[in-house]
Amino acid sequence: MTALPLMESALLSTAAKSLVQIEFEPTPLIPARPLEAGEQYRFHFDMTKCIGCKCCVVACNEQNGNPAEINWRRVGEVEGGHYPHTQRHHLSMGCNHCLEPSCLIGCPVEAYTKDPATGVVLHSADTCIGCQYCVWNCSYGVPQYNAERGIVGKCDMCHNRLGDGMAPACVAACPEGAIAIEIVNVAAWRTDYLAANAPGLPSADDSISTTRVTLPENMVPDTDRVDLQHVQPEHPHWPLVFMLVVTQVSIGAFGVLWLLDLFGQGGGLTLGALASLGLAGVSLAASTLHLGRPIYAWRALKGLRRSWLSREVLTLSLFAGAAGAFAGMLLFDLPGRGVAGFFTVLAGVAGVTCSARIYMVAARPAWFTGYTLAEFFSTALLLGPFFVEMLLTQTPGASSPGWVRFVVAGGAAAQLIVQLLKFLWLSGSEAFELRASSLLLSVRLQALLLARFGVLVVAGILLPLMATGTWTITAAFVAALAGEWLGRYLFFVSVVPKNIAAAFTSGERLAA
Amino acid sequence: MNWKRTLGLDNLSEEYAFARDESTGYTSAKKIPDHWVPTTCGYCSVGCGIEIGVKDGHAVSSRPHAAHPVNRNKLCPKGLSEHYIIESENRAKYPLVRKKGKLERVIWEEALSVMAERFRATQAAYGPQALGVLSTGQLVTEEFYALGKLVQLGFGTNNYDGNTTLCMASAVSGYKISFGSDGPPGSYEDMERADVVLLIGANLADNHPILCQYLDANRNKTLIVADPRVSKTAMMADIHLPLKPRSDLALLNGIAHILVRYNLIDRAYVDAHTVGFAELERFLDAYPPERVAEITGLSQETIFKTALLYGRAKAGFIGWTMGVNHSTLGTATVNAICNLALLTGHIGRAGAAPFSITGQCNAMGTRETGFTSSLPGYRKFDNATDRAELAALWNVEESRFPSKRGLAYPDIVEAAVAKKIRALWIIATNPLVSYPNQDVLRHGLSNLDFLVVQDCYHPTPTTELADLVLPAAIWGEKEGTYTNSERRVSKVNKAVEPPGEARSDFDIFLALAEKLGWREELYPGWTTVEDAFNEWRRVSQGRLCDYSGISYAMLAEQGAVQWPLANGETPQATSRLYADGQFQTADGRAKLVCAEWAPFPEQPGGNYPFILNTGRTVEHWHTRTKTKEVPILERLSPRAWLEMNPRDAKRLGLRSHDSVDVVSRRGRVREVELRLTEITAPGQVFMPFHFAETNVNEVTQDAFDPISREPNYKQCAIRVERSLPGANA
Repeated sequence: MTALPLMESALLSTAAKSLVQIEFEPTPLIPARPLEAGEQYRFHFDMTKCIGCKCCVVACNEQNGNPAEINWRRVGEVEGGHYPHTQRHHLSMGCNHCLEPSCLIGCPVEAYTKDPATGVVLHSADTCIGCQYCVWNCSYGVPQYNAERGIVGKCDMCHNRLGDGMAPACVAACPEGAIAIEIVNVAAWRTDYLAANAPGLPSADDSISTTRVTLPENMVPDTDRVDLQHVQPEHPHWPLVFMLVVTQVSIGAFGVLWLLDLFGQGGGLTLGALASLGLAGVSLAASTLHLGRPIYAWRALKGLRRSWLSREVLTLSLFAGAAGAFAGMLLFDLPGRGVAGFFTVLAGVAGVTCSARIYMVAARPAWFTGYTLAEFFSTALLLGPFFVEMLLTQTPGASSPGWVRFVVAGGAAAQLIVQLLKFLWLSGSEAFELRASSLLLSVRLQALLLARFGVLVVAGILLPLMATGTWTITAAFVAALAGEWLGRYLFFVSVVPKNIAAAFTSGERLAA
Repeated sequence: MNWKRTLGLDNLSEEYAFARDESTGYTSAKKIPDHWVPTTCGYCSVGCGIEIGVKDGHAVSSRPHAAHPVNRNKLCPKGLSEHYIIESENRAKYPLVRKKGKLERVIWEEALSVMAERFRATQAAYGPQALGVLSTGQLVTEEFYALGKLVQLGFGTNNYDGNTTLCMASAVSGYKISFGSDGPPGSYEDMERADVVLLIGANLADNHPILCQYLDANRNKTLIVADPRVSKTAMMADIHLPLKPRSDLALLNGIAHILVRYNLIDRAYVDAHTVGFAELERFLDAYPPERVAEITGLSQETIFKTALLYGRAKAGFIGWTMGVNHSTLGTATVNAICNLALLTGHIGRAGAAPFSITGQCNAMGTRETGFTSSLPGYRKFDNATDRAELAALWNVEESRFPSKRGLAYPDIVEAAVAKKIRALWIIATNPLVSYPNQDVLRHGLSNLDFLVVQDCYHPTPTTELADLVLPAAIWGEKEGTYTNSERRVSKVNKAVEPPGEARSDFDIFLALAEKLGWREELYPGWTTVEDAFNEWRRVSQGRLCDYSGISYAMLAEQGAVQWPLANGETPQATSRLYADGQFQTADGRAKLVCAEWAPFPEQPGGNYPFILNTGRTVEHWHTRTKTKEVPILERLSPRAWLEMNPRDAKRLGLRSHDSVDVVSRRGRVREVELRLTEITAPGQVFMPFHFAETNVNEVTQDAFDPISREPNYKQCAIRVERSLPGANA
């Protein structure tokens, strides 16, 4: 029998020091010392502490004055095990302030800098032109496009607060102390960054994320994202769908025109050259519509050292210039066209290559493949000669040699094979993003995908080889052009980007 | 069209500018206020200190009140975005009266005249009890006190209850039976001081995340969580008890059985401070571990382990919320919890308490001052001394107090169905989302002659049915006090003006009393809420909930203060009830109660094979009238979902994100998004209750606790069907 325990506690009789005095161990959530050489700041996220309350998300939005749809910090869920031994954990992620920031590497205007003092990856709202290339480059979905502003924005670790000795908003808001700022030795981290990986996060290999994640002990092996069934088509980027295909038509067309001119094909080429030049001009102009701040499109040349987007702008501009010279020489029947045409084609090939390289980024696995390059060149091969062929058949007195139509059919066949092989590759893959892309194509986008294949066979192969009528060829070209636009639309919407795990009900509800 | 923006010359740099402010640090310039107004959060009953940032007369930001003793400089996501509830398109701004079927704007004078005339006419025709009032836990204490007087002394009806009956009524009834009075004995600090913490049917991580800090700070505890669902809180536990739905009472009796059988009880405490041990001992024979294991689905070993941990604890804490209360056996389950505390002496000491964690910001205030389940100051209707004391304090005839409480919430609804209640006044609650079995409620409301809805928002599903809508000021627009779960009284302050012609509930009550000529009698000399508070201090003096030592000046100076605090006493950092072992019963002894377990009323089977559980998510608050107005919370939790175990889904051929209907004998919820998860046991499904668009209360059961009248929200039988496309069109 125990003694009456009522009075055992001295706590009852001791008067409190003050009503507002709070007793709790202060855990250091921001570094207590300044950075030394070779060090940078990073986030530490403790998954064992996080309860998924999302205070960090709300605090971040308030700190940065962002609208609700833009969340520089996000909380995702991962789950594993079987009832009642279920484990659900949360991931709270801002920017990972990577050692090799893919956003920074891709940016054509050098809006990104890696702060030499703190290692924070900073983004300049004034420099940004809203091309959104960083959005495609980041494996974590960190940079987000703010359509209201026409620019991208991202987490800057509240480095201005840190500089004042104050905790970032997310750190300060977390009731569980699950988020902290730490100091990391850059060289040491580069050799071992295993702690940047966690279930629900893309591999840190892509950019060497600096965020350290503390995982629970005994995490069940099947722990995975809860949003894996929630795959939505991506944004189509209409100006880019238009621009890419039309540019490729123009480049392919100049290739054929150059060859026809070289091989002594007489009249009728001038019209084709001027029309193709027109296409190049229209598509370059249209591409600026993709930008959040079109007036600053010229800035895109700044990032030549690193950015494939800058290189695309340069090579396509050179192409347009050379094509203009070639067309002018055709018009005035000047000599030396062979050289001008050669440089036009050279710049065009470089342009298509740069275009394709823009999309071949690790963060977008279905684009990160030689198929992207093959798709873009196949478009040029199919539509360029087709365009010239159509104009020649429309021009009284002009004629075209038979091989042009074989090139067209060859281009269509190449595209068909590329698309079929790509689809097989996607659907046979183990990677979630690739398999999800194939599911999007074969289920939600099935009708469009079949239409694209059908157009390639009929308008790209059968009609060019069989049809004789002027208008049939014209109709076939228009159909093939539409087919390539459709293909490029599918290219954009069916890519499933890498990202951090999301919450189950995040995003739009899937159509029933 | 802004051409500068279209070209990209303008990137809204002013709108998105940052600034450095001494108090906020470097932050979005538009969020830096001119001044901060300290107040108390208006969502749940944790009672966090919060500051509203006011800029040019608008509430632009919220932040934790650093000096407040409750929340340790943190807020939950709702608190961090609370300023968004104030300025919303959907605020009720003008009084509206239904004329020829349509709600039309009128002036206050007309609105109050219509209300007074219709209420009086109804009462004249059908008797005073034909008027019902459904109130809330959301007003300030001063308003509850004023409303209680208005309803009881003015209108003379005791058919008055609050949505607190949908929430904490079982805790109230349980406390009254076990300890002789309402009043949670413990404090939050006990979670930090206990060596064993047992949470039953309480998902703190979703519902009271700020309290998790107290658990985190306690490094020496064993945390045991009893919940049929592997909730976020269950995942924090050292021991999770995944018991079968509503088997908690059997578990508690089983623990008591082991404690008694193995002499893990504090016999001296039992002998000195309780009655009923002999009966209880005999009664507990029926709950041996083998039977309890069968009922709960837990192993005998787990039950033993839990009992031994609690029995041998130096300070054992039992916290509970809706898993216990939302039950036809809620009161009995609370009694069984109190039994454990009494048997082991785990009460009235640091770390040792049975403790109900309340839902609404001021449910406590209405329980103490209101006129619903007791007279103000926890006085009992059926106690002649209590009635006489109150009559003397107010200088009114004792005969004006009834000797028993009037109809409780569900009985008011039933009385409306039966046309015994003919006029109803609904204040700051939204039963068209929250009431179980909506069909019955709609039937009841459609039978009324006159429905008044007083709310901060319009339209809500409930205001849309009203004959008269009174626009009320909301949190941040009025003054008063809230009392939180741990009996801590905290000041609520006005930061901005209400929109349009909206007025504080306090002003509305006073204006109505004025209109009816009762103001001087009911509210003698009152002009401000502080006058009401000071009268309440006098009325509560000497009672368990003694406010007499608490003043507005003290609250302003010292922050939030716990009751009881007698006049002239100095507040302690933490107070506990029953530290002296003296309970609020005639003989001062607590009662050990024989609380018999029974299966929940609607067992699954046949066409309705699943058990449906309902609950909350951290982003939303109750019926979402407020949180729907907060864009970031809507972004984080945009819609309802139904949790189902993948093993069941496989059998039904369903997949995650499928659109399903939830069907019970009472109704159907259409097009809910299915979530397959191992959080929920096979045979059980879970759905959040916040969403009017997919309202789970279309299917929940209108079965009620016989004592507290609290609904059995947590278990009913349903089936899940794939939604037919277009069925909702």
